[in-house]
Parts: sequence; C-alpha cells; structure tokens
Amino acid sequence: MKGKKMVRYFDTESDNKDQDKDQNVKVFKIKSTAKILKAQKYKKQQYNNVQTKKIETEKKAEQYPGKAPINPEKLEQHTRGEGIGKGVRHPLYALKLKKRENKFKYAEEQAARADILLTEDQGFLEVDEDNRTTAITQKVIADNVDITAATKIFELDLAFGPYQAKYSRNGRHLLLGSKKGHLAGFDWVTKKLHFEINVMESIHDISWLHVETMIAAAQKEWLYIYDNTGIELHCVKRMDKILKMEFLPYHFLLAAVNEYGFMSWLDISIGEIVGHYNNHMGRTPVMTQNPFNATLCLGNSKGVVSLWSPTVKKPLAKILCHKTPLTAIAVDNRGMYMATSGVDRSLKIWDIRNLDGPLQHYKLRSAPVDLEFSQKDMLAVGLGEVVEIYSNCCTQTSESPYLRHRMAKSINNFKFCPYEDVLGIGTSKGFSSIIVPGSGEPNFDALESNPFQTKKQRKEAEVKALLEKIPAELITLNPFDVMEVDVPSMKDKMEAKKNLLYLRQQKVDFTPRHKKKGKTNIARKKIMKETARKEFVNQAIEAKKILADSEKQNIPKQSFGVLDRFVPKPK
Amino acid sequence: MEDNDDLDFVASEHDRLVSAITKLDKTQHITEPTRNESTNQNSEFNLIKRSSKLQLDNVVKVLEDTARNVQIGKKLKKSQEATVLPKPLEKPQAERIKRATGYEQTKVKIGRWDPVVARNRTVDVVSFPIKRFPGKVQQTSDFLSKLELKSPLEKELEEIDPPPESTEVEDEEQIYPMSYEEMLEHRQNAAKFRAQQSYKAAKAKRQSKIKSKKYHRILKKERLKQQLKEFEELQSKNPEEALKKLEELEKARALERHTLRHKNTGKWAKSKLVRAKYDKEVRQQLAEQLSVSRSLTFKTQDTQSTDDEADETENIPDLNLAQDPKNPWMMKSSDKSNVDAEFDFGYKKYLKDKMYKRKEMDSDSDQEILEETKNKKADSSLAILKDSVKKLYDMNVPTDKLNEEAKSDENLDKKIVAITSAAEKSKYKTRSTKKVSIKTISTSDWVVEEYVASKSINDRKVSEDISTVFDKFENNLVGKVEKKLKKLRKQISNIDKQSKETHDKEQNEINDEQDNLDYFKFKNQNPKPQIDEALLETHKDVASIKENEQSLLNNILSTIEAPTQENVNVDIDPNRFIEAKPKYLNTAMSKGENGLDDLDDEEEQVVPKVDIEEVFEEDDVVDSFRQEKEDEINNDTPKDIDLTLPGWGSWGGKGVKAPKRKRNRFIGKPAPKMPRRDKNKGDIIINEFQNPKLAAHKVSDLPFPFTSIKDYEASIRTPLGNTFIPETAHKKLIQPSVITKVGTVIEPMDEDELLVKKNRNFKNTSVLKLLAKQ
Repeated sequence: MKGKKMVRYFDTESDNKDQDKDQNVKVFKIKSTAKILKAQKYKKQQYNNVQTKKIETEKKAEQYPGKAPINPEKLEQHTRGEGIGKGVRHPLYALKLKKRENKFKYAEEQAARADILLTEDQGFLEVDEDNRTTAITQKVIADNVDITAATKIFELDLAFGPYQAKYSRNGRHLLLGSKKGHLAGFDWVTKKLHFEINVMESIHDISWLHVETMIAAAQKEWLYIYDNTGIELHCVKRMDKILKMEFLPYHFLLAAVNEYGFMSWLDISIGEIVGHYNNHMGRTPVMTQNPFNATLCLGNSKGVVSLWSPTVKKPLAKILCHKTPLTAIAVDNRGMYMATSGVDRSLKIWDIRNLDGPLQHYKLRSAPVDLEFSQKDMLAVGLGEVVEIYSNCCTQTSESPYLRHRMAKSINNFKFCPYEDVLGIGTSKGFSSIIVPGSGEPNFDALESNPFQTKKQRKEAEVKALLEKIPAELITLNPFDVMEVDVPSMKDKMEAKKNLLYLRQQKVDFTPRHKKKGKTNIARKKIMKETARKEFVNQAIEAKKILADSEKQNIPKQSFGVLDRFVPKPK
Repeated sequence: MEDNDDLDFVASEHDRLVSAITKLDKTQHITEPTRNESTNQNSEFNLIKRSSKLQLDNVVKVLEDTARNVQIGKKLKKSQEATVLPKPLEKPQAERIKRATGYEQTKVKIGRWDPVVARNRTVDVVSFPIKRFPGKVQQTSDFLSKLELKSPLEKELEEIDPPPESTEVEDEEQIYPMSYEEMLEHRQNAAKFRAQQSYKAAKAKRQSKIKSKKYHRILKKERLKQQLKEFEELQSKNPEEALKKLEELEKARALERHTLRHKNTGKWAKSKLVRAKYDKEVRQQLAEQLSVSRSLTFKTQDTQSTDDEADETENIPDLNLAQDPKNPWMMKSSDKSNVDAEFDFGYKKYLKDKMYKRKEMDSDSDQEILEETKNKKADSSLAILKDSVKKLYDMNVPTDKLNEEAKSDENLDKKIVAITSAAEKSKYKTRSTKKVSIKTISTSDWVVEEYVASKSINDRKVSEDISTVFDKFENNLVGKVEKKLKKLRKQISNIDKQSKETHDKEQNEINDEQDNLDYFKFKNQNPKPQIDEALLETHKDVASIKENEQSLLNNILSTIEAPTQENVNVDIDPNRFIEAKPKYLNTAMSKGENGLDDLDDEEEQVVPKVDIEEVFEEDDVVDSFRQEKEDEINNDTPKDIDLTLPGWGSWGGKGVKAPKRKRNRFIGKPAPKMPRRDKNKGDIIINEFQNPKLAAHKVSDLPFPFTSIKDYEASIRTPLGNTFIPETAHKKLIQPSVITKVGTVIEPMDEDELLVKKNRNFKNTSVLKLLAKQ
C-alpha cells in the first residue's frame, strides 16, 4: 500500500477484529448458485465498505464502484417469480423476450432500491421489564406525546344512541351515524365539520364512497346517498333494509347484505346493480370485506363464514369457524388472516389466503362485540366496555394484550384510522378516539391514498381511479386468476381445430406456472414424512433419556462401606 | 496434257529461278497483279506485296517427299487445320449464369447490411431519423467557465470531512512470492498431485460400481480382518489405543445396526418375497435373514448384571422388551407363527378380509330390527375390546390389579369405568411422591427397576393404551353408525313419508349414541403425531420446565401408539401439525361480570371450570356442515358412464343390474379429476367451478412465439402500470419500439451506417442466420 491510510470520522474499527475473523472460519461446501453468488457479492461489497485495508487487486474496481449493491432480501421481497424459460425457440423472439425479461428484472431492482424512500418507522410502546404495556393508559400517552399527537385523543359526547364510525380511505375524514338517525361527517384532524343532519330514520350502516364528498347511509327502508353537505343525492330503492355495507374501492362497488339475506353489489360509477341474489344463510349482520381479493366474508348464526363474489351465486368457500353464532369477523389488510369470534367467547385466527386453520385459538372471558385489524396487523377486540388491542397475535400465540382501553359506555363498533396510530370507537354515547402506537402504516403512497390531498389532487385521483376500475367479474378467491391461461377452454379450442383438415396441430406444454393446490409432490411428501419421523424419534430418545436420568439419580447406591473405593467407576 | 504439265512445270521452275534471283538483290519488287484468288489485302493501286510469311503448306509439301518425314508432315498438317470456335451458349443458359454470378456479388454486397438490419430488428427502440448529428460544439470559453473553484462552504466541509482520495491506479513493482523456476516446479507438483487424485477417484468409482455381492463381501471381510489384526497388535502394544479401536469397531457395528441391512428390503429379499407365499423354504430363508438383522440390531446386554439376574431375565419376559409388542427387535426369537404373520398378505389376507366382511355384511343385512343390529354391534365391539385388552395383558403392565379387572370383567360398561378409574388412579399415584409409588407397586427387583426407569412412561402408556383401545372401539362404532346412517338415509328417501316418524326415532337414538361417543372426545379420524410443542410459555421456574417436559413426553408417548395401530396410510399434512390449542387469555371483564381489576398481576392462565359456552353449541352444526361437504364432494365427482342396454331375453327397467360382462364392457370410468382443494382441510368447503364470466377475461390462446403456458404466463407476470412498478421501469417497459421525430425527413440509410460501431458489433449468429435466410 502506497497511499496513506485515510482516517474518516466514522472509521472506528480496529484491525485486530479482522484477525479474529480469519481464525474462526468454518468451511462449508456449498454448491454455488447464481443466487448465492449474488448474495455473496453483496456481502463482500458491504464488507468492503467498512474495511479499511484494501486489497491490491480490487483497486480498479474501487475506482468506479458503480451502482450501490441491492440487499438480496429486499430483492426477494419484490421478486415477481420465475421468469421465462427456454421454451421459445425462435431466435428473434427469444432475444426480444430476453430483453423484456431484463426490463422486468430492472423493475424489481428499482423497486428494491426504492425501499430507501420509506423513511418513516412504526411507533411502539416500550416499558421496563416488570411493567406491562397494558398499564399505559391513554392519559399517560397523552401526557408524553407532542401536542398535535395528543389532540388525536378526544371524545365526543353525542346524544343519539349507539354510534357507528367509519374513516375515509385516506384516513382524513370521519363519518358518524347513529341508530337514531344522527349523521355527521367531519375532518377529524382539524375537527372541521362538513355536515350534520338527522335523517329521522334509523341508520343501520354508513359508508364513505370513493371520495369524501359522497356518503352512503343504509336507513330503515332504503339506501340513501348524500353529499358532503348533507344533500340527498340518491335514494336507491333496489337496496332495502340493509344491515351491513362495505365499499370496494377498486371495483367501485357498494356491497350490502339485507335482512332477508339478499346480497347486492351496486356499481356506483354507473349506478347499476351488478350482483343481487339471496345467500340462504339467514339473517346476519356480520360481514366484512377481504381487501386482498374484494370478496365478502359473511358470518352466520351457525358459525359458518362464507365468501361471496357478485357473479357467482354460490359461496366461493365456506369455513366452519365456530359451533356457535358468530359475533364479528375481521380480515387483515393483506388478506392473510381472518379473525372470527363467536358467542362461545372464543377468538380464532384463520389463514384466509390458503383457506386453512385455525392458526390460533383464543378463549376470552366474554364474547367480543367487534374485531378489527389495523394496517400493521394489530387486532382490536371489543369486549363490552373494553377495547383490547393485540399485536402479533396471528403468527404467534400472544399472551396478553398490547393495549387496553376502558370506557364507561358500551362499544358499538370501531375502526383503525388508516395512516394514523388511532383507533376510533363508536359507542353508545358518542365517539372516542384513542392512540394505539404502531397500529398505522407510517409511509403512505400519495398516489394511492393521500391524507393531505388537495381538492385538485382528489379530482385527479378520482379520474384515474375510474380509469383503473376493475370489473366486478374479477372478484375471485385468487385475484391473480386473470393472469392465468384458461386451459380448459383452450383445450376445447384445440380440439375443435383438430377436426379441421390440413391444419397442423400446435404443440403446447400445458404445465401451469403455479402448481395447483392439492397436487403435492410425492417426493416432497416423503421427505416431510421422513423428517417428521426422525424428529419424533429423536425427541422420543431424548425424552427417555431425561426420564432415565431423573430415575438414576434417585437410585441409592449400594454401599460397601470402606470397600466402596474398589467399586468400578462407571465410564 | 503432257504439254500442259510440262508447261506448268517449266513455269514453276522458272518462277523459282526468278525468285531465287530476286532474293539475291535487296530491292523490293512490286509485281504486277495477276488475276488471283480473292484476298483481303486489296491495294488501291492493285499492287500486292507478297508476304514473306512462311507457308506451312509448302513446308509440308517438302516434307511429304521424304518417307521419313511423313509423320511429322501429317502432324503439322493436322495442326494447321483451322479450329472451329465452339457454339455460343443458348441465351437463357447464358443469362442464368450471368444471374448466378450477379447474385453472388450482390449477396456479398447486401450481406454487409445483415448486422445492421438484425440489430434494428432486435433493438428495443429504433428512433428515426437514424442519423443524428452531434449537437452544438462547445466553445472553449464556455467549457472553461464551468470549471469553477470550490465555494467557501465546500472548502469548510472538506476540512471537516475530507473526501476519500481516489485510490492510485499506478502499479508498483510487485514482489512475487516465488521465482519463475519455483513456480514451475510447484505447478508440476500440483499437476502430479491432481493426476494421482483423479486416478484414485476413478479407481474408487470403478470399484464402487462393481455390483458383485461376492466381491463386496470379500472386500468387507478383508477389511474386518485387517482391522482385527490391527486391534490384536495394538492390544499387545498399546492397550489404550486398542480400546479406542474397539470403540471404533463397535461404532461400525452400531452403524450397521442403524442401517436397514438384512431387513428384507433389498432386491434379493423382494424377489424371494414373491416366492415366499408358496415356498416354505424361502420363507425360512427370509426369516433367517431377518434374524440376522435382529441379532445385529439387538442391544448388547449389560455385562455387569449378576448371574442370578440373568436367570431371571431368561424366565420372565423382559418388561423393557414387552413395551412394544410389535417391535421385532425386542423379541427373543422369531417363531413360526410370527413368520406366518409376517407373510400375511396376498390371498391369505384377501380371504381373511372376505371373512370379516361377510360378518359385517351379515350384521348389516338385517336392518329391519334395529335392536338386533345393536346387539350384534355390541358383540363385535366386545370382541374387539377383548382383543385389545388381551394385547394390553400381553404387554405385561405392572399394575396387575388393573389387568385382572380388565380380564375378568366381561361387561362393557363396567370395564370402561374400571379401566379408566384404574388409569386415573395410577396417574394420581405418579403425582404423589415417587418413593411411595415405588413401594406400593413394586413386586420384584427387576420390576422395580424397570418401573422406576420408565415409570411415568408406563403409567401414561397404560392410560394411553386404554384410551386407544376405546378409540379403536369407538372408531369402529362411529364408522358403523355412519354407514348405517347413510343407508338409512337412502332408504328413507325412497320410502314414503309414513316412515318419517320411525326415522326420527332412529335418529334420536343414533344421536344419543353419538352423544355418548362425544364423551370420549374422539376428534381426529386418523390421529397424527403431534410433535410440536407450544413455543409460548414464559415461565422460567424449573418446575414449570419440568412440567413442560412432562407434557412433551406425554404428547410424544400419546402419539407413539398411533403409528403402531395403523402403520399404513399415515399421511402427514404439515398444516395438520399446527393444531391450535385454545389459549386462555386474561381479557378484561366487562363491568357486569367482575368489578375487580387484578388481571395484570396474574401470571397463569385462567381456565374456567365449566365451559358455559358449550351450552350455546349446537351439535348438529358440525354434522350438518360435514354432510354438506360430503354432498358437495359427491356432486363434484364424475359419475360412471353407463352405456348398457338390455339385450335379448334380459330384463329391462329400473333397478335391474346389468350382468358382469356387460358391466365391464359398457360402463366406462370417467377421467379422474384433480383432487379437491379442500380435501385435507377439515371443515372447509371450497367450491370449484369455472366462472364463465371470469373466463371471458382470461386468455384462451397462446400467442405466437410461445409453446408453453408456463412461459406465456411468465411473460405477463409483471404489471406495467406506474402504480405497481417504479416510474423508471414503467417508462422503460412502455417505450414504443419505433419513434419518429415529427417534422423531419426520414432518409433511407446510407452506407455510413455500416461503419457504426454498434452495428458492426452485433454478433448474434442465430438471429443473423435467420434474417439472412429471408
């Protein structure tokens, strides 16, 4: 080394560390694959960044370091799966496809790189070892956060019976509707009231439509649509006696279930009902949407959760969740988990993506009134007058709640505010908003839903959303169904072509990209069996050992007095 | 005539003379033209200069005279004959040749453009006009104006944090660790080493490929002998080393024990197995082989035990061995019956099954009287129970009392009560102090030891065994009840409404039965080992850990029985392992239930004494759901295609069974369907149907270059919208393949394009070949 060693203020590492590294090196024989090599390269580059010594041969590479390496884990997150194989033989098209493939790869890499831009971090509560997070009340939180955050804890005392609350999609606006007809919409951050009316009828459910200027209210008889000044825009008489509503933002559908078990989907962009049929599941007000695939999850009094789409008049799937009537359902934002609760005071978590489970089974002390997942997969459970929030209760069995909030009024419903650490609770005597640290998504995509949207942006977004509207027929269990080739009809077509004369049969490889479920690899199954067996045998052996050990200690040794020294020692 | 001749002769003679004379002087004489043959040399003045060219004819004439020169003369004459030019080619042929040569030339000429065209075809985007003139040339002053000194802020920053100096590229004179000669030598050595290594590897590979068993046997024997020899040598020299060696040998034996050798799984054994059905000798051979494996795998006895004990162990079946009755390794020797049992397959099994079935059929056939069937069921179940109890007895469970009770009691209900109570008792005992339990139960020394060693195992096992017995029994019952239910349902659908009342009764009864069955908490149809333990426990006391272990053991031991009971068809579904146990949470109480707020202090789970929620449960919910699922599956399974028609002289109409021959011929099996998604998922129904409305949106044709669905689906896997992928990637992906600049003349390419470097560098031969073909 000729150049003198540069001392940078962040170089704190000493050289002897490096020596230690050399000594404790284990050598593994690993078959090098492209992926491993890449990861290795990344590691090497990372290592070089902190390394102060530079190796001679790498000098030239150092001079033009090129783009920053990408974390392979991040890359894995953004990967779109396996690429095109070597099926295309035509050289020209093969080359073109290869180039396209490179672009796809570039897209993945860019996405991985762009993760740097997610600067915000999730909040959390931290307590000493002997304290619990449940001991932290809203008052404590309010005392310790800044003023603006503290204003997010508030309470509204309202007179008209149990209230329902719903936030708009960007989390800026709040809609309240009471059983006794009180309907109000306001910007809950600035507390600016948009409108406040009494519809002079019972309101069963409320919902924002695609923008915050339109509101749907399911009243005693029919569905009404108001604007944000309280003017009645429509009265939809085709949808009557609605019990529960859900708005599907990407499909522009207002889905509702009514007293007689009729489900209807109203396309609010064209004002047509795209699906209307009876579900034959009985009267049930327990319904939620699965944001992942826009199916409706309906829980009935027999403990069965059924999934519905507007175009299919039978349930897509049915799950027997509880043996008792269901009280609440919630599906998390990514469509991975579903939480159900029944009158049997149990709470179950299901793998709704694979339709499997239950993953977790909790027994509570009372039956939950309502369930709700936050954007960061915290589960709020309403138990009479208490809301308990569980964090990380899906993948692990949680021991105790993360947060607990008591009120002097019974809970009607609650919603987590998107992009805020706030839970809004509609109660029998009004509305209360509490802070739940770490519940909301800290980074928002302004093109997707922007809490700080201006009027112009809103208009722009509305047009774009309309252009990107998804047809109602695409609501299926697997939203990626459209990306797959319709093999049966393709086979039919080919069969028809076969009958034509003088037409050469096209040879097609029908293996799908994604293997269908249920068709398991036998070899893999065997391996699984084998590993399970081995593990089991090992455990059994260990268990026996433990037993034997504990017994051995208790055996009194035969004593020969002084002659004990001649007893052979066990090896 | 003669005169003429003479004249001629004279004239020629005269001519010759004249010419000879004229040759003498140098002057040229122009002769007066005489009438002669036409020539092309016509002079204006009719004057002909005689050429001095040698006339070959004349020469030939001279040569003709002499006989010697006749040959030469002839030759000369021949050569002198006028050669005729070949006939010119026909016009089309000539043109063809012309075209061919022209093609060759143009091919070369145009071939120069191949890479240009190929590149333009394959490149992502071609922008016209292709020719791009470089922009404005920067003036020197402009260029220099951009080179500014650093701002004061930058300077200050640099002082604080100096930018990394670019590392120097200049190469120093390197000091090599080896001289050239050394390096050569080193390399040679390395090469030699590698070669030897490869020879050895090849040899080893060749040897390992040898299939001859004899060879391997000999090899192994040799190796063993060698080792033994070494061991003996060592024994005399270095006893410690010898011990180590012995351990190694032991280990090798253990390894062999561990492997599946001599277990009748090999090729030889399989081939023998085929014959074993009929040949007794072969059967014995196989049994011998098995016994070899047993002897190999038999655990070495403790040498420390005294002689008396040994005697005892001979007399009394070892408890340890009896733990698992189906474990052949624990058997003393393989007796004949055992061998027979091993080959209990093929026609024998078939016969047995048939017998068994007939029994069942009998019991099923008389459906009219429900009570009778019940009795029979009870009988069969009793028999099963007896069997299992016998098994229990065989296991030599130390709790004699229990066995006696179990054996003596014939009454079913009583037995259940007794055994369960006994099991419970023993459980309680284990919970009490260990010493007491030893004293109370011990009968003899070895029993004590065994019991102590595996006391809890045994206890658990007893209870487990009993429970499994009941499970089995109950399993059968459940199966039968279900069968019966089905049949009844079918009947009822046929029979009029009149029978509905009776049916209700029956159902009630059956329900009662099921209620009773529920008491046993039988849940899984085929129990699977539940190996995973709950990860969650946070207790840190030792006691709790022990408890955990116990529970783990319990868990394992409980599942030990499962595979032995039905060692076939153990389908392991990873999802099933994640069996969620209910976790009791200390949730808040609502005001009405409990005013106290001591929840946070409690550490342990609170398990309510009575499950009030069970009051709300409706039993038929689960049943009806399962029934629904079954119906769904039945609807979904493709039906047999029946093409039978009644023939001459055969009965027709409803309920007539076609003869076997026809059934085989005319009833076609439909193509098997893919297994349903919800097949192994328990209480989940997933409807599988084609959604025609969705199909309208799906692709049902493979576009041209694709031949496999997989590739095509991969090609559309990435969305292009900027809401899904980064803007830069989006821009790249939606870029048009041809861009034309508005308002410019697009000239055709000129030959300068050939010289562009990127064009010349295009080297994809397959594409070039393809495009050149066109």
